[in-house]
Amino acid sequence: MFPTAATAERGQAGESARRNQVFWFCAAVVWLMPLMVVDLTTYLVLSVAGLAMGMLLFLTASGLTVIFGLMDVLNLAHGAFFAWGAYAGFSVLGLLDGRGLVENAGMGQSVLDVLLALLAALAMGGLLGWVLERLIVRRVYGDHLKQILITMGASMVLAELIRVVWGPNQEAIPVPMTFQGSYDVLDVVVNKFRVVAIVAGCAVYAGIMAVMMKTKLGIIIRAGVENREVVQTLGYNINRIFTGVFMAGAALAAMGGSMWGMFREQITPAMGDENLIFALIVVIIGGMGSVTGSFLGACMVGLAFNYVAFLMPKLALGVNILIMAVILLIRPFGLLGREL
Amino acid sequence: MANASTPVQAERLAQARGRYARPSFAVPILLLVALALGPVLMPSFRMMDMVAKVMIYAVAVASFDIILGYTGIISFAHGMFFGLGAYCLALICHHSGAPQYYHLPLAAALAVAISALIAVVIAVFSLRVKAIFFAMMTLAVAEFAHILGYQWSSLTLGEDGVSFRLPGILAANWSGGSLLGVQVSGRLMAYYLILIGAALLFVGLVRFVRSPAGRVLKAIRENERRALALGFRVFHYRILATVFGSVVSSLAGVMFAMWLSYVNPDTVLGTPLMLNILLMVIIGGLGTVYGGIVGAAFITVTETWLPDLLKAGVGMLPKAAMLVRLADRWVLFFGLAYVLVVLFFPKGVMGSVREAAERRRLAREKQS
Repeated sequence: MFPTAATAERGQAGESARRNQVFWFCAAVVWLMPLMVVDLTTYLVLSVAGLAMGMLLFLTASGLTVIFGLMDVLNLAHGAFFAWGAYAGFSVLGLLDGRGLVENAGMGQSVLDVLLALLAALAMGGLLGWVLERLIVRRVYGDHLKQILITMGASMVLAELIRVVWGPNQEAIPVPMTFQGSYDVLDVVVNKFRVVAIVAGCAVYAGIMAVMMKTKLGIIIRAGVENREVVQTLGYNINRIFTGVFMAGAALAAMGGSMWGMFREQITPAMGDENLIFALIVVIIGGMGSVTGSFLGACMVGLAFNYVAFLMPKLALGVNILIMAVILLIRPFGLLGREL
Repeated sequence: MANASTPVQAERLAQARGRYARPSFAVPILLLVALALGPVLMPSFRMMDMVAKVMIYAVAVASFDIILGYTGIISFAHGMFFGLGAYCLALICHHSGAPQYYHLPLAAALAVAISALIAVVIAVFSLRVKAIFFAMMTLAVAEFAHILGYQWSSLTLGEDGVSFRLPGILAANWSGGSLLGVQVSGRLMAYYLILIGAALLFVGLVRFVRSPAGRVLKAIRENERRALALGFRVFHYRILATVFGSVVSSLAGVMFAMWLSYVNPDTVLGTPLMLNILLMVIIGGLGTVYGGIVGAAFITVTETWLPDLLKAGVGMLPKAAMLVRLADRWVLFFGLAYVLVVLFFPKGVMGSVREAAERRRLAREKQS
């Protein structure tokens, strides 16, 4: 089945544009709905928390969605990259903490610590992504069934390897004091790390969009999403691009994992599975293959999760599944997805 | 062959005539006899426990094969449906206080109804778009069910799980004396009930894949567009297959709860169960139904003996923390085995056996 040429990002005309307006209006109304039950301050606190969670989800989901769009691979091992990234960051911070460079470090040192941890996570994710793509995923291109089965197995193996290397228990991540605690803006309590997460998430989104829209690599990737064969016939080595995109996606997920770990200040080997579920919901909501879609989807999922977790903790994941079902009902290919 | 007007009819007649002479008829009968005589010949509880679990898993795996092997749809909620059935029986028996015989069929009916409803809803939402959406959606729903199992403690008793007593002669403390030197206990009765239930469900599964609907499913798996072009409602058939498989899985779950008299969220709703089912179906062979028995037997037996074996192996080696941890993590070896099987042995045991038999038949036909 050949993908149709028009991407939803280019916008649609006439009636569908009006339908889009109605859709976004409804979305805005739903977004403001929690205000009926909680007061404004709580609402703002929850919104910031939701956006921060959304940004961290976006880091995982963006890789997942581009890998699917370009390579037609559904990578269920993506959550494992997330967990490995968190553990890589944990190891680096633990090492630095052993030299007394974390807990009470100054501003400059703290920023350096966090950057080092993120770098370690990126490197770890990239490495794992490379190994996995070369060793396993490459063998099952074009076969969804096998991809899902085999990446599920790989994710299980990677999670177990974490338990072997770092032990099966929950670990506490040492986080620099500078990044702990929160700001107080007009009674709205904003955790410092949430601000970092939101800034980082937006930066990554801007970065991905810049690469996709402004560089030659981005053009090749977008062309590959549209039609792989034609890109190949034009003389580009699509396999190298596949490996690169897979590594980049894995690295982003790993970075998200280490930020998640620093934000929660604790990590468990099972954290990847939970994250994968959310990332899949985000990707379905946003539309498979669309980066902007998963950005929006991640915000929706993060916000909805936080509002509902505040009101009815048990149903927090349930409401996300509900959102996903509703989106599938009214827009079967996701917010910005195109027909597969 | 007077009454066969087309080659297809002729072939079917030939198949029907030789039906009782082929190993595909004799082997299941022999297996059934062996399972029925097993507890009498080898009265060991550990053995009986293992065989009962193999039978239950075999049904769950074979029903998964309907979805995965015959229809080509991946469901990560198969473990959830299994758990749903298990919880149906456990909660009815637990909350009623005094378990009665009619609670068993009641639990089975409830399990069928609930799982059919959930399966239809998931299928309608996700299969409408694309078959792989089903995989993602079921993954999320299964996780949600696991969380509910933990947190909805007023109903499910949360993390502690539900332990309950079974009615009458199935109860663990019932004893009917001794017959031919075998202790007739509640466990033995439960074993035979499971044997009967599993056999019936298995026959149902085999009949399903050989029915016209089963043929259509195979056609859809092989070439969706062509099946569509031939006028089959692909969407409806896919829903039918996923719902049927899920319902049978929930019935296997009812039997599982009956055997253990105890359920908790991690054993019947968690991902390890789902991964086990996946592993079993792959090792047994996709699209073979009987592969379910092979896979279930292989994994259950390994699961029973492997941890001990690994521990014994590590005990002989010099002390190394990493090695001990490695031995504790036998799921790791399962995972590796699973990936390797998917990569290098994708047909599974039954698939390979069938292929070999087919090759031999072709060779023989060529000779004659």
